[in-house]
Amino acid sequence: MNDQNFDNKNTSFSYLESRPLHIGASVPRLDAYEKVTGKEKYAADYYGENLVWAGVKRAGVPHAVLRGIDFSSAVKVPGIVRVLTHEDITGSNRQGVIRKDQPVLVNDKARHCGDAIALVLADNKESLKEALDLIVCDFEPLPGVFDSEQGLRNGAALVHEDNADGNRLLKGEIKTGSGSDAYKECDVIVEACFQTQSQEHAYLETEAGWARLLANGKLEIVCSTQTPFRDRMEVAEALGLDPTLVRIIAPYPGGAFGGKDGVTVQTLLGLAALHSGGRPVKMWWNREESFVSGTKRHAALMYYQLGAKADGTLHFLDVRLYFDTGPYDHLGGVVLTLALEHAGGPYRIPNAQLTGWAVYTNNPIGGAFRGFGVTQVTAAVEQVMDMLAQKLGMDPVKLRLKNATKRGDRSCVGKTMVCSNGLVECLETLSKHDLWKQADDWKSSAGPFKRRGVGIAAAMQGSGYGPVVPDYANAKVELTSDGKIRVYCGVVDMGQGNASTNLQIAGSILGQESGQMELVLPDTDRTLPSGSASASRCTYTFGNALIGAAETLKQRILQRAADLFMASGPHEMALIPGSVRHLPTGREVPLFRLVKFFQDSERIAVHHFRAPVAADNIGVSPEIKLHGLPHTLFSFGACLAAVEVDELTGAAEVKRFLAVSDCGKVLNPQIYQQQIHGGIAQGLGYALSEKLEVEKGRILTTGFSTYIIPTASDVPEIDSIAVEIYEPTGPFGLKGVGEIATNGPLPAVANAVADALGIRVFESPLTAERILEAFASNGRQESSI
Amino acid sequence: MRQVSLPRTLGELWAVLQRQPHSAVYAGGTDLFVKIRDGQLNPESLVCLERLTELQGVQDNGDELFIGAATTHSKLIVAESVREHLRVLVKAASVLGSPPIRHMGTIGGNIVTASPAGDTLPALYVLSAEVEIRHCEGSKRIPINEFIIGPGTVDLAKGEILAGVWLRKHQGWNLSHYEKIGRRKAQACAIASMAAVLELTETGKVKRARLAWGSVGPTVITSEGVENALIGEQLSLEVLKNAGTMLDKAISPIYDIRAGADYRRMVSKAMLLRLNDYACGTTY
Ligand SMILES: Cc1cc2nc3c(=O)[nH]c(=O)nc-3n(C[C@H](O)[C@H](O)[C@H](O)COP(=O)(O)OP(=O)(O)OC[C@H]3O[C@@H](n4cnc5c(N)ncnc54)[C@H](O)[C@@H]3O)c2cc1C
Repeated sequence: MNDQNFDNKNTSFSYLESRPLHIGASVPRLDAYEKVTGKEKYAADYYGENLVWAGVKRAGVPHAVLRGIDFSSAVKVPGIVRVLTHEDITGSNRQGVIRKDQPVLVNDKARHCGDAIALVLADNKESLKEALDLIVCDFEPLPGVFDSEQGLRNGAALVHEDNADGNRLLKGEIKTGSGSDAYKECDVIVEACFQTQSQEHAYLETEAGWARLLANGKLEIVCSTQTPFRDRMEVAEALGLDPTLVRIIAPYPGGAFGGKDGVTVQTLLGLAALHSGGRPVKMWWNREESFVSGTKRHAALMYYQLGAKADGTLHFLDVRLYFDTGPYDHLGGVVLTLALEHAGGPYRIPNAQLTGWAVYTNNPIGGAFRGFGVTQVTAAVEQVMDMLAQKLGMDPVKLRLKNATKRGDRSCVGKTMVCSNGLVECLETLSKHDLWKQADDWKSSAGPFKRRGVGIAAAMQGSGYGPVVPDYANAKVELTSDGKIRVYCGVVDMGQGNASTNLQIAGSILGQESGQMELVLPDTDRTLPSGSASASRCTYTFGNALIGAAETLKQRILQRAADLFMASGPHEMALIPGSVRHLPTGREVPLFRLVKFFQDSERIAVHHFRAPVAADNIGVSPEIKLHGLPHTLFSFGACLAAVEVDELTGAAEVKRFLAVSDCGKVLNPQIYQQQIHGGIAQGLGYALSEKLEVEKGRILTTGFSTYIIPTASDVPEIDSIAVEIYEPTGPFGLKGVGEIATNGPLPAVANAVADALGIRVFESPLTAERILEAFASNGRQESSI
Repeated sequence: MRQVSLPRTLGELWAVLQRQPHSAVYAGGTDLFVKIRDGQLNPESLVCLERLTELQGVQDNGDELFIGAATTHSKLIVAESVREHLRVLVKAASVLGSPPIRHMGTIGGNIVTASPAGDTLPALYVLSAEVEIRHCEGSKRIPINEFIIGPGTVDLAKGEILAGVWLRKHQGWNLSHYEKIGRRKAQACAIASMAAVLELTETGKVKRARLAWGSVGPTVITSEGVENALIGEQLSLEVLKNAGTMLDKAISPIYDIRAGADYRRMVSKAMLLRLNDYACGTTY
């Protein structure tokens, strides 16, 4: 397998029933068959002869000076190839995106339990485990920081002594209008503090990869990643290599959700391959290691004050956010910045004072996770909106409609909204739905010991990288020498279906069915740089590039065919599946014939697209701008949760869920619905059961028997409606759909629970225990029985 | 690499156990393999009981039913005779784990694991189940509450296996109830659970009652105090609430990663109130 030829990895779909690829049609996902039959080769499926297993010795302590590593017994274990430490790294030994502060292998101190201390290479898994257990780290324990507010206090232990701002990774401050002073002009003010928990990505496929060093010095790394092109640079810098000698190959990840937005196994694998004597190397974290070392959704502490005029017009917002970013900048500053931008929800609020801190702690690493900071603040702002509605005696839908941004309005950070905006349509559709109209009947027909409530939430989600970091994609489409259309995807498809959508886009433009299409998954040597699979940007950015490339190729094919047929011009020609037809005569030339009249250089078309950025200067600091504020493209949504609470146990059960979303035009309804349904399921887990228990930096829930993600029986029937407002800058009018649905479930469920019980639980997840405690301490249980 | 033996007869089993005294027996493996992976156990070799016909299925022996230890939960809950006579056990086994776990896991494994959270255990307690222990020289029967000694501990000597459980068929209960409180609807370990069988008169008075709680003590908890408080009474919230006060002394819940002790205490009593759903005279 050492001679495995990756260049052959073009997926063709000719063995499946060929299907027309129309925009807007529910074309079955072209990756589905291979995946459900187990044929798809994931990063974890690479082995090969003479394989070396690589594994990591983890710190196991949250904060301690590393005085020494004793691996003298470990190297004596039969089957051990090498034990590597930071001393074996010749590069910067640092990784990260903005602040590169994470060591590949610790050289000074451990900053969280999952820190990598040593890398062991072994002939087999058994020896590897034995050797890892025998490595002894000499640690001098340090006091730790386990809470973000505490981390900012004077005298707190420092996670990075070299950081000029102490434990502050980033502080963001935004003031619009008269800021906090505006509270005096309000008739009503509500105030609350919310605490949201860390969330585990819980992908089916844990972090995995495979690497080898070729004789010509090229380092090939196959890995489960969202960011192949960024990985290449990070690996090269950390290991001191020329980036052009690093090749990252990215099969479909088995789920990622943000947890593979950056380096996991890549650099470690690269380092291992540099020391394995040319043998291929494999690393595959088990679930516990994935929990301990992987990133989490930032836990957040959020203080909110929201003020309005007596008629419900929002007037003032004061927010303080504390985001626990753990020990490293795994996009923590960017997450905080997105949270600040969305802190006021999708509403017009003329006066705002928004302050936020991303704080270093010795907890697990906070990082990217579907929703990316927006999920946390949406939970807060949508609950204070309900509290405000209650105080004003106003219908919660009407309060939201009254303040909903429309195109041309300003968001709470003062950014003028220029993209298509279907928020009003979402809210109106929701208010006309039976689940809302008949909510009172449904609530009053609860059975014994049950109380029912209906809650709603609205949300928006910015997409793309913001004003500074270029959000670009380069698409490449090829007419292959046997007449097929091959699409080179530069953006990873981590399961959301964009690879299939890319074929649909190219196929529809080039008039081809699935049987004529081929696919190349991201590979830094074969596909073109197109940014990360993140930020609801994949199909928006890459799709726009792909349209350009496909149109170019189409013109070239039609022109060449027109020349051959001596037609008056390409307008007389049409691409049909497998052929080009001369419309006036009906004569056809198959693509496999036509291609013979192409030179190789003509068979490939490429196109670059860079997403538009905000044109207005809203006066935020360059640092905050660099971290992505403001965005210019937003998706919108409104959702409803119908919840039944058991008075005896406190358990909240979501009986029905409705999501109405504006993600622009829908290219493939099936894939669209999968994104919405998946986002809701993940959001419901966040709302009700997913609770990462961390005690002094140590995760106590390191597997799925104690970290409780929803099962099929925990996810209710979902109604999902697309409000398809055409977005002029999007490919075929589309906007991003990857994240928006995750934001609504927690606040909608919390509002429904408050509606059912008359009490609010301010800390998520809303476990039965928390609800029952709140209910009991409210003294209402007695009176109800 | 461990050796796995798959005896087909009891004779073969005894021979294997004699040859390999340090092996662990298992049926579905849904508890054992979790412990081996965690490093809690490291048996030299394994002996699988799945293929022993003597340990399989439900036999009707006149007044009694015998459920073989290696009967899976999914087989158990569809067995006609079990559905007819032991409804509370069906209710309990139906919420154990998830379909794949019920296909693999067995009643014998659930008993020998002796977890305070084991779902079939409260049901087996209220039905006064007896377990049959076998060894190469013979067998014996003992009540389940004597067999289970503590969390994870049963009265089983080396060379002995659990052959199955014996249950009386006609117990006269006309109300069978099982409730499990977990962190989600399926594949959830019980935070607290309660099995109840009652005989109600036509007018809804409690004639007899047996109740048992899981996950609120080292083993399944029963309380004569609660049962006595119900007997002779008409089921009502008042009566159930009052009976719940008797529970305080009986249970000793712990705090763990799944829930706090106070919560367990609260819901143990609260679950009793659910029986009021049956008060309207219809029986289940
Ligand atoms: C994901 C998951 C979810 C689960 N959910 C639940 C749940 O909701 N409720 C619940 O109660 N349990 C649950 N369990 C635990 C387990 O599935 C049950 O306890 C099951 O009944 C065990 O049966 P088994 O045959 O698989 O046991 P095994 O693993 O085969 O054996 C368990 C123990 O019993 C011993 N043993 C088994 N059979 C015999 C015998 N005949 N004689 C002597 N010793 C024997 C073994 O040596 C071992 O020590 C779950 C387990 C998993 C992995």
